[in-house]
Amino acid sequence: MRSTRLFSNKFLLLFSIASIAASSLTAQTLTKKQQDSAYLLNPGQERIRKIKKSLAKKFVNFVGNDVSLFGSLALSKQNINDKGVTAPINYLYNTVNSNTFNSGYSGGFRIDGIYKEKHRYALSFAVNRVAAGNNYKNKYSLSPFIDDFTHFKADNNFTTINVAAHYKKLLPVNAMNKYKFYAVFGPSFDYKISRISNEQLINGAGNRAIINGDLGAEFDNKGYYVLYAHYKLGVNMTSSSVPVQLNRFEIGMSIKAKDLF
Amino acid sequence: MKNLYILLLAVISFTIVSCNKETATTQTDVMNSMLTNKNWYLDYSITGTSTKSYVGQSTYFVTYLKDGTTKDSDGLTGTYTVEVVGNQSQIHVQLKTAGGNPLEVVYNIISVGETKLVLSKVVTTGTATQLYFTNK
Repeated sequence: MRSTRLFSNKFLLLFSIASIAASSLTAQTLTKKQQDSAYLLNPGQERIRKIKKSLAKKFVNFVGNDVSLFGSLALSKQNINDKGVTAPINYLYNTVNSNTFNSGYSGGFRIDGIYKEKHRYALSFAVNRVAAGNNYKNKYSLSPFIDDFTHFKADNNFTTINVAAHYKKLLPVNAMNKYKFYAVFGPSFDYKISRISNEQLINGAGNRAIINGDLGAEFDNKGYYVLYAHYKLGVNMTSSSVPVQLNRFEIGMSIKAKDLF
Repeated sequence: MKNLYILLLAVISFTIVSCNKETATTQTDVMNSMLTNKNWYLDYSITGTSTKSYVGQSTYFVTYLKDGTTKDSDGLTGTYTVEVVGNQSQIHVQLKTAGGNPLEVVYNIISVGETKLVLSKVVTTGTATQLYFTNK
């Protein structure tokens, strides 16, 4: 008799828990994927969820943030003014001066969103492998011996990390509910993380930080992907004995992370 | 966890800041790399307004070896160091005369490159001679 009552109580308790769980599940109408991930919650995911929640509270005006991954081809050329170099070193002008755009590449992620439901923006983080053609502004000669030479040899292959903040202006072109065209502009910052050669370091010329002004156009194909072309004009962030102007054209594509994973 | 983030940030900052920088030997290292292990053939010597050309003759050459020794086509041997004194880059050569007496010769480096070298011999009296070398 007693065992029957105990079984009955246990059954009632179990039934109650199951009912509550079932009602909560139907109330949320979770997808199959969400149901699966609910079982797979781990401390890391929980932490990310909390951070997202906290950020959402703080940046309440920044909405619709989509994370995308991007890759691009970059054509680069740097203009080099070596007038501040005093070291008595010569590099034959024709061997170091290519005056062309050389190709490199970059990859990273970006967050696209809208500020106060009006201003579109993109924040990006990238790693760039820059291969730049060199244009030396100054030529020297030592008659009758050396016709044209420079005092400085700039590194033309280097790696940078880049952070950019772009404002996106929707252009009234074509059917805007399907295809969107944007004009994009804003600042970006590069920091060289690869080794700087001794030749580049002479006379305090080896600056690592570059500040850029970016300008470009983007084409959004129904939210499936974005094709973009950006021009970046960069200069040394701090004063240098060799001011370098870095010109870059980037042509790339970004795809929303949630579509990829 | 917060401490872990701070530690991670510190490590990244240290990695970025501790990357290579210019040191006192950067300039001499670059000049040494251009100067050493080549036969430098004398093409011109200019003293005042007098220019002597040796182009194509390969009559005289000097070699600066990586181990700090030097020798020339006349059979003189010795040691050398590349130094920056004040703002002037110099080659200090320690030679021994035929009689076995030590002799120091100092050259101001006017210009040094992969294939072209211009030196000016430091003299106490008279006009300095500029020496134009090429290694091809």
